[in-house]
Amino acid sequence: MVERSQKEVWRLTPWLMIVLLLGNFVLMAYDAKTASQERVIRVWALAIANFVQSPVTTVSSAVTDYFKSISTLRSAQTENDELKQQVEELKVQVQRSEELSDENERLRSLLSLRSESKYKILPAQIIARDPSAWFDHAVINLGSLNGVKLNMPIVNNGGLIGRVVAVSPLTAQINLVTKDKSGLGGVIGELATSNAIGVVTGNGKRELLEMGYVPGSIEVQVGEMVYTSGQDGIYPPGLKLGEVVEVRPGSATVPQQIFIRPSARLFAMEEVAVLLYEPPERPEYEKTVPNAVAEEKKKP
Amino acid sequence: MEQVKITIALIIAIILQWTLRNVAEPFAYVDFPLIIIVYAALQRNAINALILGTISGIAVDALSGGILGANGFSKTLVAYAVSEIARRVYLDNLLLQIPVIAGACLVDDLVFYGLHRLLGQVPSAPVVVTIAYSLIGTTIAGTFIYLILRALSTDKIRRQKRDFFAPRRQTRRRNPIRLGRR
Repeated sequence: MVERSQKEVWRLTPWLMIVLLLGNFVLMAYDAKTASQERVIRVWALAIANFVQSPVTTVSSAVTDYFKSISTLRSAQTENDELKQQVEELKVQVQRSEELSDENERLRSLLSLRSESKYKILPAQIIARDPSAWFDHAVINLGSLNGVKLNMPIVNNGGLIGRVVAVSPLTAQINLVTKDKSGLGGVIGELATSNAIGVVTGNGKRELLEMGYVPGSIEVQVGEMVYTSGQDGIYPPGLKLGEVVEVRPGSATVPQQIFIRPSARLFAMEEVAVLLYEPPERPEYEKTVPNAVAEEKKKP
Repeated sequence: MEQVKITIALIIAIILQWTLRNVAEPFAYVDFPLIIIVYAALQRNAINALILGTISGIAVDALSGGILGANGFSKTLVAYAVSEIARRVYLDNLLLQIPVIAGACLVDDLVFYGLHRLLGQVPSAPVVVTIAYSLIGTTIAGTFIYLILRALSTDKIRRQKRDFFAPRRQTRRRNPIRLGRR
């Protein structure tokens, strides 16, 4: 190892700082440029971090569960009695529903319908949260080996949470819908019946989403539910997003400003699901520059 | 040996930063790598501090939703600033190091936030609250970590003290008995 005198070190330090700052700046510029693509550094970091994040999550969940089990032990006796009674009641109900299910199956086979869910899902666990206090990304315990791909939607029983932004073989990084630069197509009410279609974006606030481009002439009420419209080419239509909490009315020419509270509990999630949804292939002209349509029309 | 110790401490700090937020949310407000980088800079280990600042910043950015390199940029800048201050001012006392950690945390957060604003990406967390909490969390955690690190490297501190405060030259006293004999 090279031994340097203090004088040499102090002479070298400003130059080293400039080189490192420039390196970081180049990295930032590259990252900003390739924001919509998968970044190699993130994928590698995810793969390496998995070796420590998974064991820590396992141990911490085990410890939490242990203390939870101790606290719930007190009420276990009364709960046990109540549950026994419920089991008896449910046995009768199950018998009845089995009969109905058989009947349903028979009728379905007669109509040659296949009972299958619209999208397949993969249950996943959050194994890490964003290491910086400024952002809210999370890491799940499923990766490309489990069939997870870039941009796949993440949901829980409350509704849409976000999408996959980086995939390593064993883990994947997810971006929440509330992030400043996230955007998706939304519709207030049912897709087929509502005209209130707009763009839902994160507005930098953790608790609220903002919906824009809804014409001022359309009436929107506080408390209405908002769903994905599927027009963004990432999320499928019909996923629950949240509830309208504030409407700033527009006019015939100015669109309304609508604020939505996400229905999924974004900051207390442990269990989520990856929706194995791949959007339909976009036409070639949509993949190129925005004015490609106009250019194509110009051609003879 | 000291460099190895700081490198190991930094690896542990990065691992803690990656994992602890999932265990308890308040840990998000403790910047473990920054504490170690400031420690390295205070040891007048400027080159080490700069390199470790960049590496740890990128390691944190890689798993964060922010811009890749923003943390590396702010931490490198902080490492340089602290090493320059440590060169000019004697900061080996723990009580003097506490405000340095707080100041470093403040500068780091402001540079990080400023870079994101500059590049058009607004962090989702409220600015003042996040900076205030980070300042408190990082300063408290930093104080405890420095106590541990000082306990682990007492020999070096002793040696440094000896270098800085050389024993005072004692004037040779004349033997009063001899003086009396005159």
